[in-house]
Amino acid sequence: MNRPFSPVQIWNSFLKIIPYAGVTFGVVFGTIILGTALAILLFIQKKSEKRFVRVLAEGYINVIRCTPSIVLLFIVYYGIPKIALGLFAIDLNFSSKITYVIISLALIYSATLSEIIRSAYLALGKAQYEAAISIGLTPFQAVWRIMLPQGLVYALPNLGNSLISLFKEGSLAFTIGLIDMMGAGNLIISRNYGAYSLETYLALAVIYWVLTLIIEQIFLRLEKHYGRGREENHAA
Amino acid sequence: MAEAGRKIMQLDFSYLVKTFWLCVKAIPVTLEITIVSLLLAVIPALVIALCRIHHIKVLEQFGRIFVSFIRGTPMVLQILIVYSVMPSLLNSFVKKVGLSVNVFDLNPIIYAFIVFGLNSAATLSEVFRSAISAVPKGQVEAALCAGLTPFQTFRRIVLPQATVSALPNLCSITVILIKNTSLAFMMTVREITAVAKIEAAYGYNYVESYIDIFIIYIFVCLTVELIFKKIERRVVFAGVRRAKAI
Repeated sequence: MNRPFSPVQIWNSFLKIIPYAGVTFGVVFGTIILGTALAILLFIQKKSEKRFVRVLAEGYINVIRCTPSIVLLFIVYYGIPKIALGLFAIDLNFSSKITYVIISLALIYSATLSEIIRSAYLALGKAQYEAAISIGLTPFQAVWRIMLPQGLVYALPNLGNSLISLFKEGSLAFTIGLIDMMGAGNLIISRNYGAYSLETYLALAVIYWVLTLIIEQIFLRLEKHYGRGREENHAA
Repeated sequence: MAEAGRKIMQLDFSYLVKTFWLCVKAIPVTLEITIVSLLLAVIPALVIALCRIHHIKVLEQFGRIFVSFIRGTPMVLQILIVYSVMPSLLNSFVKKVGLSVNVFDLNPIIYAFIVFGLNSAATLSEVFRSAISAVPKGQVEAALCAGLTPFQTFRRIVLPQATVSALPNLCSITVILIKNTSLAFMMTVREITAVAKIEAAYGYNYVESYIDIFIIYIFVCLTVELIFKKIERRVVFAGVRRAKAI
């Protein structure tokens, strides 16, 4: 290393990267919305009476569990435009990259999330739902007012973990050229002609680390908050 | 519609098959990274786990920060950091020692071992910690009462029981590690993804290449899961048989 390590550069890159946190969180929120919709679908499929539908959902979850995110990202990024062009003659060449990132991450996240929903549902038991229906709630009310608030408590630790890994996996988006925090960091490095790469990566590491710790803390607080009534019940 | 159907089938099948076998040849590299990193990580992970369980002062803090850092930063970033530091660090070390090795000619797989080894050390330490804590305290006390030394207690009483409860987590860690090695192409290691990327860039056959490795990864991961299930069954049955014999 001919050039001495310069801590000032860490701070400089830090300031330049921070504005792109919005893109990173945009990816996360987009993925959560699309992923939750897919996860609910998967969960309903897995509870289906038809064996075929169940096997399909299970197969999907198994396949996703065995696929590296980057491979899925590449398949979605190169595959969807090809299919769109071939089937519908639509040229997607200039569509925004963030869409592909969100689609591929949502495909992964939905598999995890559907398993989380399922385990919370199993922990809660069917009886709660049946009791709610029997006192005259509509199925939607039963889910919204009875199942969801209780199930959320069971699901919170897993939800926190899955959210953190989603947040970190979002950093792969730079491989297809999305300018999120990771992409911004790489841009800074190439603008410096490859110099100060370590400093920039360290700045990125600090940002990701701190944000992960914050997410972790938020979920710990939430767990404590929603777990409160439960502990009192047990004590009584 | 028939024409559209043909267009979507524009996938170059001969290319698909050819690249598939090229990528299959890279499976040993992926497995090598996985196995070597896991083996390198076992002892540091055990040390971190034991330090955290027994609250050994400075080491416990160090272990906690290390695990938190690894869990808090993306794998890509860890790779990029190590890959931008290690070569020059190694170079100055080699020069100081006076070896006549050109560090920049070394196989980059070494850096993959380092990154994935560090990463697995953190994740494994969490698995070991929960598995060792899951062994009931009475077991340890009983063993010590029966006259075993602390080391014997750990080796003969705690470790066998902890291994059984750690197996499912070990399986999922191994699968996650295999998936993560797909990022080793950033260090110019020629594993499955790297081969596919090189082939894809050659003739712009991106979709075909990635479908190939998609299938390969599923195959590899499912095989690993199957092997772990077999081991699990054997270990659990062995335990039951031994218990019955006693």
